[in-house]
Amino acid sequence: MRTYELMFVVDPRVSDEDVVTMTQEYRNMIASGGSTITAEENWGRRKLAYTIDKLNEGKYVLFYVSSETGKTALPEVEHRMRQNDKILRYLTVRTDEDLKRAARRQPAAGTTPPPPGESTSPAAAEIGPDEEEV
Amino acid sequence: MGRARKVFFRRRKVCKFCADKIDYIDYKDVKLLQQFIPERSKILPRRISGTCANHQRPLQQAIKRARHLALIPFTTD
Repeated sequence: MRTYELMFVVDPRVSDEDVVTMTQEYRNMIASGGSTITAEENWGRRKLAYTIDKLNEGKYVLFYVSSETGKTALPEVEHRMRQNDKILRYLTVRTDEDLKRAARRQPAAGTTPPPPGESTSPAAAEIGPDEEEV
Repeated sequence: MGRARKVFFRRRKVCKFCADKIDYIDYKDVKLLQQFIPERSKILPRRISGTCANHQRPLQQAIKRARHLALIPFTTD
């Protein structure tokens, strides 16, 4: 089984509702491409570390995707994101190999990151609030 | 290391990831990564931070991913 993380940054001028409808398209593409979204995180508005297209903020959305067969629609999704100028940045990362390696190195200890169990946490708890004023 | 060239005692540096048993270095963990990007936002070299080679490599990868997503800066100007 392969797992992926797909994170992308949306133009902050897009309203929250529009972000949901916009990302629904990607969600559908992933679901119909033979993979499932195991969890989703919406970090909301977050300050960018540097300006992108003269913008200082972005809305962060994160998908955890898993695929039994190794077949996903992620290349197509990336292609669509590239064309969408409301998407400032996107990044797909394959995580199963690294997580497996980490788990093997320490079978008992609990410091490995939790697998994406809980869905749509309101904000990234660890990284959220204290980053705001830079 | 083994040679007794330096007379004064120098504290031995330990790889943070080995010590804390962090095996998966997440690009989303900005707080962790920030410890390895000093003022100029360059990646802290191993010889300074003491990170072992096996952990410096994924750390470097994570920092570069985080930079791409504007979670941490490329430079500070």
